[in-house]
Amino acid sequence: MSIRAKCHFLICRAFKVFVVGFAAVIRVSFEMINVTGLDDAAAVIAGALEQQQHLGVQAMATKAALGRDADYDEVINVSAFSGIIDYQPDELILTLRAGTPMHEVESTLASANQMLAFEVPDLHKILASQSAGTIGGVLATNASGPRRLTAGAARDYLLGFDAISGRGERFKSGGKVMKNVTGYDLSKLICGSYGTLAIFDEVTLKTLPKPEINISLLFPCDDLSAAVVRIAGIFASPHEPNAAAILPQAIAAKAGIDVAGATLAIIRLEGIDVSVADRAAHLLAAHKEGVKIDIDASTALWQQIRDVDLLADADGDIWKLSCAPASAPAIIATLFDQFDLQFFADWAGGLLWLVGPSGAEFGTATRSALAANGNGHAQLIRDSGNSKDVIAPLQPLPSAHYALHKRVKAAFDPRSVLNFGRMHDGI
Amino acid sequence: MQMPEPDQAVIDRRETICRDLRELVAADCVIDSVEGRRAYDADGLSAYRQLPLAVVLPETVQQIAAVMKYCHSKGIKVVPRGSGTSLSGGALPLADAVLVGLGKFNRILDVDYANRCVVAQPGVTNLAITHAVQADGFYYAPDPSSQIACSVGGNVAENSGGVHCLKYGLTTNNLLGIELVTIDGEILRLGGKHLDAGDYDLMGVMTGSEGLLGIVSEVTLRILQKPATQRALLVGFDDTRSAAKVVGDVIGAGIIPAGMEMMDGLAINAAEDFANAGYPRGAAALLIIELDGPEIEVNTLIDRVAKIMDSAGASSLKISNSEEERNLFWAGRKSAFPAVGRISPDYLCMDGTIPRRRLPDMMVRMASLSQKYGLRVANVFHAGDGNLHPLILFDANQPDELQRAEDFGADILRACVEMGGVLTGEHGVGVEKRDLMGIQFTEDDMKQQQRLKCAFDADHLLNPGKVFPHLHRCAELGRLHVHKGKMPFPDLPRF
Repeated sequence: MSIRAKCHFLICRAFKVFVVGFAAVIRVSFEMINVTGLDDAAAVIAGALEQQQHLGVQAMATKAALGRDADYDEVINVSAFSGIIDYQPDELILTLRAGTPMHEVESTLASANQMLAFEVPDLHKILASQSAGTIGGVLATNASGPRRLTAGAARDYLLGFDAISGRGERFKSGGKVMKNVTGYDLSKLICGSYGTLAIFDEVTLKTLPKPEINISLLFPCDDLSAAVVRIAGIFASPHEPNAAAILPQAIAAKAGIDVAGATLAIIRLEGIDVSVADRAAHLLAAHKEGVKIDIDASTALWQQIRDVDLLADADGDIWKLSCAPASAPAIIATLFDQFDLQFFADWAGGLLWLVGPSGAEFGTATRSALAANGNGHAQLIRDSGNSKDVIAPLQPLPSAHYALHKRVKAAFDPRSVLNFGRMHDGI
Repeated sequence: MQMPEPDQAVIDRRETICRDLRELVAADCVIDSVEGRRAYDADGLSAYRQLPLAVVLPETVQQIAAVMKYCHSKGIKVVPRGSGTSLSGGALPLADAVLVGLGKFNRILDVDYANRCVVAQPGVTNLAITHAVQADGFYYAPDPSSQIACSVGGNVAENSGGVHCLKYGLTTNNLLGIELVTIDGEILRLGGKHLDAGDYDLMGVMTGSEGLLGIVSEVTLRILQKPATQRALLVGFDDTRSAAKVVGDVIGAGIIPAGMEMMDGLAINAAEDFANAGYPRGAAALLIIELDGPEIEVNTLIDRVAKIMDSAGASSLKISNSEEERNLFWAGRKSAFPAVGRISPDYLCMDGTIPRRRLPDMMVRMASLSQKYGLRVANVFHAGDGNLHPLILFDANQPDELQRAEDFGADILRACVEMGGVLTGEHGVGVEKRDLMGIQFTEDDMKQQQRLKCAFDADHLLNPGKVFPHLHRCAELGRLHVHKGKMPFPDLPRF
C-alpha cells in the first residue's frame, strides 16, 4: 500500500514534486496507479479530468521507447487486464483482455495450431525491453511482421473491443464475428493510436490456422533495385509467396547466410507440404540461382527479420520506413550518398529498417527522401542518443491532417487525459 | 421510416442553389428537373424513394471540393452517391439535400504492377478493376454480388465484402489509400501505395462510414495474382445442423476455403428451378465450398474436404472437374436472389452476422418467426463467416405485408445480436437498420461514434438521417461533466 492511497490528491501532488528531486525510482513508485478493470480506470480518469491531469497508460511498458517522451502526472497500469476470455478455434475468434502477455496469447493459439496472421514482432532487443509485451501494446502500436505484406496488419485482425474514453465513459465497438459493418469501424482507429484515444480492455481478434510448413528461397541479386524487381516478378506469378525480404550481404551474414557479393532477395512459401514443394520447384526452375532453405532455418531467419535482430548490435538510431515497394531503391540510394548506414528491407521493399547516425539530420534526410519518392511514413524506433529532442519520432502531419487528428483526439479525449503528446505534440 | 424534418427554407431556395451550383460545375452537370432528379430518387433499397433537392455531377476533385464548401457555407445537406446499389438506403436522397453523384469519376488512373496496386476514380465499377488487370494475371479480391455495377467509391463507403472475404477480406483489408474531400472542402490524402502509416487510421474509419464523414474522390486498391486453380464442391445435407457443423470442421482442420456458401431447402429449389445447376432438390441444406490456389494444393485440399463431408454424413457430393462445372455450381447461388424473385412478388434481403456455431439455433428461430408472421423465408448464407442473407418473401400489394416483412426482418436481426452477432455483415446500416442500432449499441456507444462524426462534420450536413437513430448536436455531445469536488477514487492503491 502506498501513502498516496490514503492522502488527499493535492497534497500528494505536492509530495510528488518534493520527492522528484531525490530519485527517479521514488517518483515512479508514487505515480503508478494499478487498475483492475474499466470501472477503476473510469474513476481514475474522472479524477484526472477534475484535476486537469495528464495520465500515461501502460502495461508491461515494453514499447515505452516508441513515440514521443511525454510527461505525465500519473501512470495508469493496466497489466491486470489480463487473461483469455473466450477462444473458439473453429470460429477463428479469440476474445481476451488487452493486458494479456504475448507469450500467453501465442501459447493459447498454438494449442489449437493457430496464429495471429499479422505475425507479431518482438522488438525487445532493439527497444531494450524485456519481452514482446502485451496484445494491447501490439494493437496500440499496430505492430505487424513480415506476413503483413500479404495477410494484413494488426488493425485488420481486431474485430471489436470494449474501452473507456478520455471522457471517462465506457463504450464498445465492432463485435465478436468476422464480418461486421455495423457503425464506424473504430477498431481501425484504435489500432496504432498509442493509447491516446481510449484504454481498451476486452478485445476480439480474428485468428487463422498455422500453415503446416514454411520454407524460404534465397535469390542472389546484384543490388537492392534488382532484388525489388525480382520479388515483384515472383509476386506476379501464381506461386503465392507470403513474405519477401531483402538483405544486403553484410546483414545476411549476420543471419548466418553466406552468399558472396550479393544482395539477397528472400521469399517465404507457406502452406501444406505438397503445395510448398511444388511452388518451390517451379520458382527454382524459373530462377536457377535460387537456394532453398528448409523449415527450421527458414523459421529462424524470418524471426530475425521480424524482430529486427539483424540490426540490434549496430550503432546509431534505428528508423522504420513504410514506403511504396518500388521506391525503396531510390530512397536508399539518396541516403547512401549522404550517410554511413545499414539497412534491410521487408514487405517486398515496402518496409525499410535503417540504422543511421543519431540526431536530426539523418531523420530529416530520410523524410525528404521519402517525400521525393512517393511518400510514406518514417518513424524513429530506437533513439541511441537524444534524437527525440530534435526530431519528431513519428512523421509530422501536414496541417490539415493535424487539425483533423486534433479533432479526432478531442472526440475521444477532449481534455487530453490519455497519453497526451505521445504521438504528436498536442495530440 | 422517419427521416429528419426537411428544412423548408432550404427547399424554398432551390432555384438559387441550382444557379449557384452551375457556377461551380458545368451547367449540364446540375440536374434540376423533376424527371432528371427522378432517376436518383432511390438506391438498391427501392422501397424508399425521395426526390433530391438537386443532383450535381462534378467532374474534378476541385469541383467536389467547391460544391462541398458551398453547401457547408450555406448549411445545405449533402448526400453522396456512387452507383446507387446500396441495399440499405445509404444513398437515399433527402428533400433538402444536394445529391453529389460520382458517376463522372469513371477513370482508372494508374495500374502499377511494381507496387501491385491500381489507382482509380471512385465511380469506376468494382469489376472494372479486375478487368483492367486480368490480362496480366491479376485481380481485385472483394467481389460484392453487385460488382458489375457498384462503384469502388461506394465499396469504400460501405466496406463491401463478397463471397470470397473469408479468405481475402473486405474492402478495408484491400485498400491502400484514398483521397477524401471533407464537408468544408478540404482535400486530404490518406495512405497511398505504402502499407502502414503511423497516424490515426482515418482511412480505416472512413471505410464503411456510409458517406457520413466525407466523399472519397480517389482510391488505391491492392491487387493480387489470380490463383492458378479454383475448384468447388457441391454438398447436400439432410439437416441444417450437420451442414452448419461441418463448416466449423473444415476450418478446424486448418483449411480456409476461398468461399463457403450455404443455402436452405427453399433457396435450393428456387435456384434449381431458375438455373438448372444440378442442385440436390431434396436436401435441407446445400454447401458450395470453393478452394483456390496452386493446383496440387487445391486437389489435395479438395480430397481432405470431401473426406470431412463424408464423415459428417453428406447426402450428396459433387466435385467440379472443369471451370464449366465450377461455374455451374455457382450459377444457382449467384442467381438465388432473382430465383427467389420468381417465386414471390417481392422479397426483403436481410444481412445479419452470427457466430457460426449458432447457425442451427438461428434456423430454428427463423422457422418459428416464419410461422409467426405467416411469411416464407429463403436462406442463403456466407457460411464461412456467419453472414446470413435471409430473403423474406412477401407481396407489397397486400395491405400489411411490407410491414409484416419488415417486422420479421427486425426480429431476425434482434436474434442475431442476441446470439452474439451483429446487425449487418456487409450491406450497411443506412436507413434500413438505423432504428435497430440500439439493439446492438448502448446510447453511450452511439454517442462516442457520433463524436467521431463531429470531428469530420460538426454541422451534421453529410448524409444525415443514416446510420444513427438520433441526431445529437455536436455541442451537446462534446459537453463533459466533470464532478468537481469528488474524490478521484481514493481507495485505489497507488504503487
